[in-house]
Formats: sequence, C-alpha cells, structure tokens
Amino acid sequence: MNTLFSERDCVFYTGTSTGSSSPLNGGSFSSGACFQSSPLTASDNYPKQTAFGLLAATRGPNDRGMLRPAPSPIYTLRGAGGPLNTLHFSCKGGNTPLLFSGSGKGAIHVWNLNTRRAEKTVEGHSGHSVVWVGTLRETDALISQGRDMQVCLWDLSEGRSEVTDSVWTGSVGFCQCSVLETSSSARLLAFAGHQTEEIKIIELPGKTPVCTLVPDAKLGMVMCIKLWQPDSGHGPLLLAGYEDGSLLLWDVTQRSALSRVKAHPEPVMCLTFDLRCLRGVSGSSEKQLSAWMLDGQNNLQLQDNVALVNPGVSQLCVRADGKLLASAGWDHRVRIFGWKKLRPLAVLQYHTDMVLSVAFSDHQDPGHRLLAAGSKDHRISLWSIYNEGADTG
Amino acid sequence: MESLAPNPEVRLEVSRCFRTLATSTDAKDLVATLQTLHCYLDEGPESRTDPVQRAEFRRAHFTPALRLLGGGGIRADWPAGLTPAQQAELWDGLFLKGPPEQALLVLMEAMGEQRAGANLDRFVAITEKFLRSGRLADLLWSRCLETGPSDSPQLRETLLGRIAALPDVTANRLHLRNKALFLPQQYYPLLATEMLAALERTCQSLRDGTDCSLTFVAQTLGKVCIQGHSGLVLAVLAPRLSVFTRSDMVWQRVCWKLLQNVPQRWMESVLTGLVQAVSGPDALGRIIGNLVLTNKKAQFVITHKLLLLQYKYETGVLRIVLGYLAADRERRPLLIQVLRSVLQAWANPSAVKHTPLDQQLYVSKALLLSVSLLKDSELQELRSELLQCLLGGMQSHLDSGVVRVRRMGMVVGECLSARMDLNKTKLKFEYEQDEETLELLCLMSPTTDEPEAEQVNEVDTPQETSATAPSTQDASSPNKSKTDPGSDLDSDDELTPYDMSGDQETSTASPPRYLRDCLETLVSSEDPSRVELSLRVAEGLVRRNIFAAREVSVQLTKVLLHMEDKYSISGFLSLRQATMVALTVTDCISVTQYLTTEFYSLNYSLRQRLDILEVLTLAAQELSKPIAETRTPPMGVSGAPESTPYPGDNPVHWREVVQKRIDSKTKRLRKGATQPPATATPNRYAPVAGHFFFPLLSNYDKPQVTFDLLGGDHLVLGRLIHSLGLLMHLAVNAPIAAQMGCALLDFVWAVRYHADQMVRRGVLFAVCSVFLSMPSENLLVDLSDQLFETRTWLADVAEEDPDADCRSLAIQSLVLLDKSLKKQLRDQQALTSES
Repeated sequence: MNTLFSERDCVFYTGTSTGSSSPLNGGSFSSGACFQSSPLTASDNYPKQTAFGLLAATRGPNDRGMLRPAPSPIYTLRGAGGPLNTLHFSCKGGNTPLLFSGSGKGAIHVWNLNTRRAEKTVEGHSGHSVVWVGTLRETDALISQGRDMQVCLWDLSEGRSEVTDSVWTGSVGFCQCSVLETSSSARLLAFAGHQTEEIKIIELPGKTPVCTLVPDAKLGMVMCIKLWQPDSGHGPLLLAGYEDGSLLLWDVTQRSALSRVKAHPEPVMCLTFDLRCLRGVSGSSEKQLSAWMLDGQNNLQLQDNVALVNPGVSQLCVRADGKLLASAGWDHRVRIFGWKKLRPLAVLQYHTDMVLSVAFSDHQDPGHRLLAAGSKDHRISLWSIYNEGADTG
Repeated sequence: MESLAPNPEVRLEVSRCFRTLATSTDAKDLVATLQTLHCYLDEGPESRTDPVQRAEFRRAHFTPALRLLGGGGIRADWPAGLTPAQQAELWDGLFLKGPPEQALLVLMEAMGEQRAGANLDRFVAITEKFLRSGRLADLLWSRCLETGPSDSPQLRETLLGRIAALPDVTANRLHLRNKALFLPQQYYPLLATEMLAALERTCQSLRDGTDCSLTFVAQTLGKVCIQGHSGLVLAVLAPRLSVFTRSDMVWQRVCWKLLQNVPQRWMESVLTGLVQAVSGPDALGRIIGNLVLTNKKAQFVITHKLLLLQYKYETGVLRIVLGYLAADRERRPLLIQVLRSVLQAWANPSAVKHTPLDQQLYVSKALLLSVSLLKDSELQELRSELLQCLLGGMQSHLDSGVVRVRRMGMVVGECLSARMDLNKTKLKFEYEQDEETLELLCLMSPTTDEPEAEQVNEVDTPQETSATAPSTQDASSPNKSKTDPGSDLDSDDELTPYDMSGDQETSTASPPRYLRDCLETLVSSEDPSRVELSLRVAEGLVRRNIFAAREVSVQLTKVLLHMEDKYSISGFLSLRQATMVALTVTDCISVTQYLTTEFYSLNYSLRQRLDILEVLTLAAQELSKPIAETRTPPMGVSGAPESTPYPGDNPVHWREVVQKRIDSKTKRLRKGATQPPATATPNRYAPVAGHFFFPLLSNYDKPQVTFDLLGGDHLVLGRLIHSLGLLMHLAVNAPIAAQMGCALLDFVWAVRYHADQMVRRGVLFAVCSVFLSMPSENLLVDLSDQLFETRTWLADVAEEDPDADCRSLAIQSLVLLDKSLKKQLRDQQALTSES
C-alpha cells in the first residue's frame, strides 16, 4: 500500500519505441535541425557576428540595441611555468610598459608588453610560491612576498637582479602584504604575522616595528589586508579580512579596531578598496560579492550583495578611473562589473583553470589600458575592455 | 343501463341521413343532413337532442358516419356541391367535434386506404387541423377519464399504435408531399405538449376531487419512447415537469403515478430518456420519486444497466443517476449497493483485461462519483471492503499493458485513498496529466463542474510564462535593483554590457577524455558528478574512437546494463540507452551476442530485459539508415535535452511507422519527381540482421526461476514480439529477410490467441512486418502452407477481437497480404506470358 508506483519505473509495452526515428521520418529531423543555421549558411559573406548578435538580441534581456558578443583577449602570455598568483603592472614611466607576475613555482617574470615576451625572470624565494609582487613608486624597486615567509626588495635597475633587503614575516598563510608609501623614502609595510590573528606593521627601510594589531575576538587567520592613508589627515588605516568572514577597520596609530562587520559566512578571500569614494568590495568562496562602504565616522557599512553564477573569487581589482571592477573567479572566468552600481558588464572566458589574479594597468593614456588575468593554467591573458569612452573623453 | 340499450329513434334518423348522403345530389339536402348529424355532437343548452341520444350516436354511429363521409359509398364529386365555408364547417367539423379517438382512427384508416387525389389531400388537411386544434390533448384527457369496460384492449392498442406511429403512417403514404407537422421533429414535441396539457387537466381535476387514470398517457409515453423518440418527447416534457414539480405536490404525485403506470417493457426506454433529459439529480428525484424502490425494472435500469452494462452516456448522466440515489434517505442503501457493484466491476481483473477502455473509464467515473457522494459514516462502514477492492483493483490496473488503463487505475487509486483517509497516508503516483485524468480528478470534488475544469487549464498557462520569464532575465536581475532612480552621475549606464549568456554554472569535475577512464568511473566511482559526466560523454567517446570502443564494448555494455540511477541523473535512461546503442552499432556482433544471451539469462529485472530489446531495435534502426545521412552530434555529449521523452513511453510511433510504410507503397500519380534520386549506400544492417534476430527466437519457452516468458511476464513477451517485428521490418530487402519471416511467423503462431492484448498487438504487428518485408515470391513459396491458416486467423481477429487496435492491425495485415499475393500472381502471369 505504501509503495509508490511510478509510471517510469515500469516501462510497459507501448508499441515500439524504436520506430520513432526510423529512416522514414528522418527527413523531418534534419529539416528541423537546419532551421537555426540556415541564415548563416545561406550566404557565407553574411557577418556571423551580426547574426549571432541578432540571435542574442532577440532573447537577451538588456535589449537596448544589440548585445556585443563576449570579448576575447587581445593577447596572452605563456611560459610562466606555474600558476600565476599575482600580477602587477608598471606602465607609468616613459620606459617600456612592464607586467610583473609571481608564479607558484617561485619565479617572478617581468614581461615586456611591447614585445610580449618575458624580459627577465628572477627567482628569490628558493622555489617557494610567490604570493605577491609590487613596485615602489619612488624607486624602481620591486617588492615580492613568497611563502618562504620572506618579503624581498629587489633592485632590478640596469639589468641587475639583486635582493637589496628582506624581511621575515613568519606567516605561513596566503595573506598578501600591503605597502603604503608615506614619503619619498619611507614606507609602511603591513603583513600577517607569526600568530594566527596578528598583523604587523613595520617601517621601511629601517624595519622598525610600528605596531602589532591583534583583534580581541577570535576571528581566525588574516586573509587579506589593505593599508592606506585617509585624506582626513589622521594616521593610516588598515582594512583586514579574516577567516571567519569579518572585516575589521584598524586605526594604525591608535592600534585599535574602529569598526567590524561580518561580510561573509566564509573566509574573506580578497578585498579591494577605492580610496576616492571610500567603498570596497570583498569576495569569498561563496556565490556572491559583498560590497561595503565607510561612512564619515569610519564605520563599515554593508551594502548590496552581488550574485555570481559560480562560487569563489580569488582577487578583486578596481580600475584606477573608478569605473570598473574585475573579479578573478574560481570558475575560470573574469567578471567585469560597473563599479558604481556593481552592474555585471562582461564575463571574460578564456582560461581553462581557476583565475588567481587580476590587475588593471596604470597606463597614462587611458586608451591603452589593459586588464591582465593570471590563472592556474600558467597563462596570463590581456584584455582591452571599456577603453572606448576614454578615447573621446 | 338506459343508455346502453339501442335507441331505435337515433338509429332510424342516422340511417336516413346515411341514405341521403349516399344518394342525394342536392346541395341543400346534403347540408341539412350534415347539420342533423352535427346536432348529435353539439353539446350545450341550445342542443336539440337529449344527452341519451347524443351518447348513443357517439357510441354507435359516429364512426360509420365518418367512414361514410370518408369515402365508402359516397360519390366522389359531392363535396364539390358545398361552398368552401360549408365544407369547412359541416364536413370538417364533424371530424373535429366528435369523439377524438374515433376521428383519429377513421382519419388514419382513410389515409391508409385513399389513393392519391383530392380526397387524400382533404384528409391530410383535416388531420393537420385535428392535430393543430389540440384534439390529441382531448383524446388523451378523454382516456384519463374513461375507466369503463368499453375500453377494449384491442382498441387501446390500435389507438396507441396510431398515436405513436402517425409520422410513419403519413410518411409512408404521402412520401414527398408529407406535411411538416407530421415530421417526427414537429409531431413528437407536439405530442409532448398535448400530454402536458392532459396532465395539467388531470391535476386540475384531482384538485377538484375527481379521480383520473393516467394509464393511457403513461402507455403513450412508453410506446413513443420504445420507438426511439424519447429524446424529442422528453426534451419537451422533462424541463416542464421539473418546473411544475418544484413546488406543486399534486404535480409530483401525477408525475410519480405517470411513471409507475408506464408498462414494464417500456420502462427502460422512458428512464434512459429521462435521465438524459433532466437537468439535475433533484429534478429527476422530483419527477420519478422513489420509483427505484417500488419498481423492480426501474431499479434494475437505474442501479445496474445504466452504470454497469451501458457506457455510452455522458458524465452528467452519471452524476444525475448517482446524485438521485444519494439524495433521499430511503434510496441511500441503493447507492451503497451500487457502489459495491461498481467497485467490484472496477476491481475485477477479468474486466480490466476484457472490457473496452471506454467502459472502464465509465466505470471509473461512476466509482469516483459514488465515493464522493458517500458520507463519512457510510465510508467508515465500507472501509475494509473498499480497501480490499482498491488493492486488488490497483494491482490489476497496474498490471495492465495499456497506458490508459494504468493511468485510470492510478487516478482512481489516488482519489479513493485520499477519500478514505487511511491514517493520513494516501497513494501518490507519477503520471502525466491529460484531459482524462483531469476529468476524473474533477469528479471527486462534488461542486466542480466542467467550467471549473476549464479554469484549471487556464491557470496552467500563466505559470508557464512566469516560469520562463526569470530564466531569460537571469543576467539582468542583479542590476535591475540597482537602476532605481538614484544619482544619475553614479550610474554605470555609459558602459554597455557584453553578451553574458555564456556565463553558465560550471561543474567542478572535468569529463573523462578516454573511454577506459569513463568505464572505470562508471564501474567504481562514488562521485555523482563524475559518474554523470562520464555517462554524458560516453556515447561521444564510443563513436569517436571506434577501435578503443571495440576493445571494451562488451564490458561497457555489461556495466551499463547493470547500472542503476543511483544519483538521479537527469536523462539517465536516454543517456544510458544512447551509449548502449552506440556500442551495439560500433561492435555489432559481439555486443548483440552478449545482449541476446543476457536476455534469456537469470536474475535480470523486467526493466533490464526491456532495455535490451530497445537497445537492439534502436541499434538495428541506426544500422539500417543510409550512412550518408550523418547524424547530428550525439545528444549525450552536450547535456541531453530534458524534454526528449524516453522513447519507450510513446505508444504511437510504431503505428506511424506502419502508416508511413503503407504510404510509401501507395502510388500517387500527381507527385512529380521533386526529390533528387537517392544515392545508393550499403545497408549496414543487412549483413548482421541475423545476429540481432535469431538468438532472440531461441529459448523463449524455457522458463527460468525469475523469468517466465510464456507465463506471467507477458509484458516482456509482447515487447519481444514487437521488437522482433521491428527487426524484421528493418531487414526489408536483406537477403536473410525470407528466413527471418518464416521463423517469425512460426514463432508467433503459438501465441496468436494470447490473453493479453498487448501481446496480440505485438503479434499482429510482427505479422504486418513480415508481410511488408518479405519478398512476395518467398511469401508464396516458403509460406504457402501457412498462408491459408494465417488468413483465416487474421479474418477471425479482424472481426472478433475485443481490442480495436488489434482489429485494425489485423485488417491491415490482410490488406498487405492480399496486395503482396496479387502482385506475386501478376508477376508470375507476366513471366509465363513472356516465356
């Protein structure tokens, strides 16, 4: 009595199945199949993209005219030989535009974006994965952080590749450092410390410890930090994301936490912060980005969430003009959002494995701006996206 | 007693009149004589005759007088002497004023005897006038009053016959010159209104305290109904009676009496007409009262015949009949009795097998309706009985091979179990809703009527649109909330989004790239996503790398055959099937060998055996297709579309195949050569057809422990025979077709009268395909001794099989056989004449 019978479970004799697509009615199948493709095959010189765009426009939701087809990378850089954990552009000066990349095999590549070749490869972390690379604005120095718990300062000028200085962090995590250049010669370096929840800030080049920030509550490992100098003239502030999903705002000079929000149920994987409008966004291993902002009293306030199709974000980056936000997704895709309203604008599909890093270039000419994405599939893809408006204005 | 004694005075006077009429040519004499006759009919105070004389005239002399006037012995020209006015008043008036039954009888008699001419026309005119002036009501009313012995049965019978058959008599006599009034469409409604008038007068007189007899009216009603005019009569009668009886007790009594007086032999036709004509159960209850309790015949008709023996009526009739039984306390035991018998009829396994589908549907409806009418207390009493029958009935319905029967059983089971409230548990089946199931489901809700059923349909459409809408707006939904009127400067509108339709959810695992990996995953992996991916790519891998596929073909087939849908993968069945078909096509001989052996081996479920058959037929079909027709990329790779129905569930396809096959054999003269001539390609199926076919024929009669083809597993038997038929059909033009045909005919011969209709259908299909595919010369040579018997059998099936599909298939086979034989004989004649 309680057995539920399903009609599916017992397939009965219902005439034959197999007659369904006998040669006799095969014709009707093929005619159905050619229905969609016929506009394309009818004339070969018919622009395929337009046809595709037409199709897309008919079913696309945002049909303010035709939708542009999804973009493709303008070029890719191969040969890094490992997953690309971090990317950094250096295109400001009059010299050749460069892209620095740190690989999981411990190599730092310096890519010449004119020749599109690796100009130099340096290995300074004894084979350990490079977590972060950056350059100091004033000098040509490269700064890199590896999982050998060292942060190294490099002199790469005039063909050299020497470590000029190094700092031992003691952190075994993946938290990337954050550097703040306070003056032409001095800078603050924030990094995760030896203890689980500890953030240390030291002053370079003297390596004098400025402070150690440890939260009162148990928040887990430090996942990501961002150090910056607010316009208001107070001491530097630091944003940190922790393993339990909360974000803390630290006042470095007071050594006190100013504000705390729980932005994610999962660990905060990455965050980015726009100094100009005091807004930021953080990503996690779940299917959404969390946006937040700082109000006048230095309180963190959560804003809307942005839904993602697939979970997991490894890095977020806002373009310097404050128009675009790029996210490096675990689903092999880079997503572009409008930064103002966080409207999804594009999905960049090229990579065949997790995208680990994204970076916007700092070209002085906005028309040349690039977006670089580094992936676990050992490739860097470079995209030119939403540069049109900049040409005219 | 005085009136009965012959009154010599009247007789003398009347005979004098008759003489005058017969002989005189003087118009004045005639007028005077006719006026004298009229005197005897005139009622009222100014009449010159006394009532005794009048009664005597009516009794004894009226009919002869009319007969005389009607033509016997009167010269043909004499009415011409009268003016039209006199003729209308005196001559016609005599017919219209006198006792109506005598007038009608004479009129009908005269109509029968007269030859065509002026006289006949006159009688037709008078009859029309007679009917129009409401004399029928007078006639009926007079019979209501008369109760005396003068009412001889012969007279009554004759009168009844004349009243009921007037349209027939006139039509036979007048042919094309028949009057519109005499047509059944006008006459019977007229008769009905006259009956109503008579009943009305009866009511009136009952109120005045006079007794009346409704016997004659009831007999008229019965007679008309048994002659097949119940629809016309009751369409007028029933609504009026329903209205009259609503408030008037006298009317109700009159109606009950009327129905009681209908003779037994005509009761059925009156009742069946009535239940179709009334508007609802209440109206029926008011009109027939508790007739079912008093009248055995009525009880039989209402509780048995209408429900269990006949099944042509609309659902509304069922509703009325059962509602009528449920409406009254005294009738409720009958409802329960009906429920019992209907339940037994529904649950009877033999009935499920042998009665037509429409009747089963009808019985199901009756069952649901009567259950819905039960009160909870009655339900409690019947519960154990209901439950027992329900279980038995469910089993026999679910055992059936016919989809509709199963579905009906499921719906009824669900409804009954829900109504019985079995500790809050109820049956729940998965079946596709269609009109039939919806109608059945509607029956359980007592207030629901057809309009509501339509509403149900209407509700469906908005759901569909709302379901599709969000999917198209997926990409834009996040920004929708953002584009509310805010600071215009902060908007992202200047940035046009790219096409993001490619942004789909990704699965974490990657599909296997080699067939061996795929096989390994399917064998050992516990990861649902990996198994699903492997299953999805399996068909593509098999087709892409034929050599790798041949190495593992049997092994992979084995794995797939034993695979269960552990992770409820969408499209599991079709994916698995497609892969097995690909394997069979790729490595034909060894896989078919494996599959055909496994078909008869131990420890397989029915499902698996059916799968084997399906895979074999699909593979054969694919092989028999021309190679040039390249397949579209295998659907298994790019995520099988959910909507593709599992082919085994569709019952119409094979019929289409047969139909198309027949079409292709039919020559159409006007069809030009529009299609380019087909290029010849080798048939891949022909060389291997035997591997598919013959192993399946062996072993069928060796029952295993778990599998008895000729016993309980007739489902598989039917499917097996059908598959064999298809394999045969696909082998057309193959050299081996002749042997296959002989073997198949031999095989099906043993089961040609199988009890299960699906098996019989399969057999007939197989025979069809033999006749289609076997070369006609082989048909005559190889099967010559069997053909005669087969023909007789087919003719027998075509006439007597209870299943309509079987009958039509048998006819089709006969046609095919005849065609094939004729062709062969013609060819032979051509050959002999040439040589």
